[in-house]
Formats: sequence, C-alpha cells, structure tokens
Amino acid sequence: MALIRLYMTMSLDGYVAGPHDNADAPLGVNGFRLFNWLDRRNDAGPSGQVYGEALATRALISGRRTYELANRWQGDHHDGVPIFVLTHDVPDDPPPGSVRYVTDVHDCAAQARTAAGDGDVMVHGAGAAQALLRAGELDELELHVVPVLLGQGRRLFDNLPAQHIDLDLIRRLTTPDTEEPAKQVAHLRYRVRKPATAT
Amino acid sequence: MSKIVLYMSMSLDGFITGPDDGMDHGLGVGGERLHAWLSPGGVDPRSHRPADGPSATVFNEAMATGAVITGRRTFDFAGGWAGDHHDGVPIFVLTHAAPDAPAPGHARYVTDGIESCVAQAKEAAAGRDILLHGAATAQECLRAGLLDEMELQLMPVLLGQGRRLFDNLPPDHIELELLRAMDAPGVQHLRYSVRSAG
Repeated sequence: MALIRLYMTMSLDGYVAGPHDNADAPLGVNGFRLFNWLDRRNDAGPSGQVYGEALATRALISGRRTYELANRWQGDHHDGVPIFVLTHDVPDDPPPGSVRYVTDVHDCAAQARTAAGDGDVMVHGAGAAQALLRAGELDELELHVVPVLLGQGRRLFDNLPAQHIDLDLIRRLTTPDTEEPAKQVAHLRYRVRKPATAT
Repeated sequence: MSKIVLYMSMSLDGFITGPDDGMDHGLGVGGERLHAWLSPGGVDPRSHRPADGPSATVFNEAMATGAVITGRRTFDFAGGWAGDHHDGVPIFVLTHAAPDAPAPGHARYVTDGIESCVAQAKEAAAGRDILLHGAATAQECLRAGLLDEMELQLMPVLLGQGRRLFDNLPPDHIELELLRAMDAPGVQHLRYSVRSAG
C-alpha cells in the first residue's frame, strides 16, 4: 500500500517559515533561507536524490494554507498527480487541474493512498502534517533539516497533544563536508511507529 | 581556547522536557523518554554512562570538560548533582538571586550575568571545553553570541508538549554548521558549531 510521507524543510529550531508569513510573503520574513539547499536539487548527491524521490510520488496531500500560499500550484504540483487539499471549508469555485477538496482526514488519506497506486503520497504543509499525525495516518517523515536557527516563525510541530509518537530513524543523507555552508542540509527519514491497535 | 558546548537531549519536535516539569519531576510528564540513550543510574551523572558506541563517545566527551555552566532551574531539578557533576570541576550556576544557603560542593552561584559566567568558566576550565546545560541558559548564551557549539542528542520521538530548547529567541538568523553526525540505536548525535549570530 502507498506510504504517506511528509516532505518538509525545517530549521534546527523547528520552523518551516519565518515570522509574518502571508500571501505576499509565503515563507515569512527571511524564510527563503530554508530553501537554499534546493539549488542542488538537480545535482548528483543527497539533495538531488531526495528531490527526485519527492517528484516520484504519485499523489499529494496539502493543507489549505500551503495550497493557497503556493497559488494553488495552478492545479499541477508535479506530473499532474492528484492533489488532495485538506480543508474545513470547501471553496465555492471549482478546483483547478488535478485538485480535489477533502474535509475528513481519514477520507483524505484513503483517497490519496488509492490514487497513488504503486507509488507513495507526498504531504506538504505543517497543518496537514499535524492533522495526519493526530489521526495516525502519517507513515513517514522526510525532513530536510537546515543548519540555521530562525528564532521565530511558523513551527512544523505544534498543536499536538501530549502523547508520545515514537519514530525510527530509517535513513540519514547529509551533504558532503565540501558543500558550501548555505547549502548544507541533513535529510532525515523517520518511520512513525503505529500502536498495535491503530486502524 | 575553551569552547562553550551545549549538551542537551531533544525530541524531534524540539522539547527537552515533557509538560508540567517541576521540582519533583525535572523532566516533566513522560520526559524520561529523552534520556533513554543513557544508562539507568543515580544522582551522580557518571553513573549514566552508555555502554559503548557513539553514545559512549559523546558521554565521555561531556565528562572530559573542565567546567560546567548551568541554569538555576536545571541545577535545582538535578539536586545540584550533590555538588559534583564530574571529577570535581567547577559548576557555575547562573541565577538572578543566589539563595541564602551556600552552593554545595564545587558549585557556585553567578548573579552578574552570562558574560561574567562564561568568563569565569573559561578561566576555570584551563583550556578544556565547558559543558553547558539547560534551555534558558542556552538561550541566554545564544542571544549574547557566546555559544560555540551544540552537541544534541536528537531523540526519535514527538513529545507533543513540554519545554522547548529553542524558544524566546529574536528573529535574527543564527547560522550553524553540522560538524559531526553519528547514528546510534535510539538516538542521533548531532554536533553543530555556531558560525554567526544575526
């Protein structure tokens, strides 16, 4: 069955955007610092490998906020794969391209798994990640941990209950020592341990 | 030249305690999970030495430091390590107001600020590195540009709630460099240098 895997870039202090993120500044003040590693996305090496894996996913789950801040990807995130936008309020206008709106997190996960077929599902956005974590529907996390402290901004892990979610580190890919500091990153992949009773 | 090195065990979601940490529960509710990389032991920090591998390497490095800087909160919660963190090295406890009772053993209270605390510890460490413990003191060091390195024990768990290591910092970027990464069963050891503040 398709795995649902979060792909997010995070500063060591846990932020996925700088402060005051909004439609005019989707990454917040100076949040673009987080994405310097993407300059290596088409190169050989760990960042190119991870980026290639992300684009090999066959469905996308996004939170509504990320979706809107990204200008709805104009209906196509990559290769026209189905995009499931998790939202409380379905917009009145019809969704663009391969987008569909889903209001229930379990329904969203089930639809995305089916749509991904033999591939995996990419998750984007802190809100969607938190919702999937709370619902026990997230299988893996691929975090691009950037060696910087942003100090303030929007946190990836927030609004979670005080219940431990145990993980296993299943892969670490770090940029070589020769990489320039601004483009260094550690790609950490974790598997979420599911309680035996999870459905 | 002595370096100030922060040693902390942190969950992937950034917590160094569970919720409701207090005198009777220094690591908060469920926070013991963060110390699962250590061996069970007592008040003496040396009793917690991991058996082998990268965890033992990092532990031994911490125990080779020549002085300790800690916040009052961490110090009190740890019972002041009965006055001896390791090998009788001096322990500098940063606090706003020293209690009436004298500090136990090799500990002393520092009330005139983080700069003075760091200067005293560097003099006392005689060229060896300095072990820094505690989130609030780490934040003070970061804000003052006094932190040299961080040795983080990144635990593969989301605690959900608790006390965060990185909090109360200004929105100025602090650039780091990953110096060393070692994966051990149940813990990842990440060593960063602090390259620049602001």
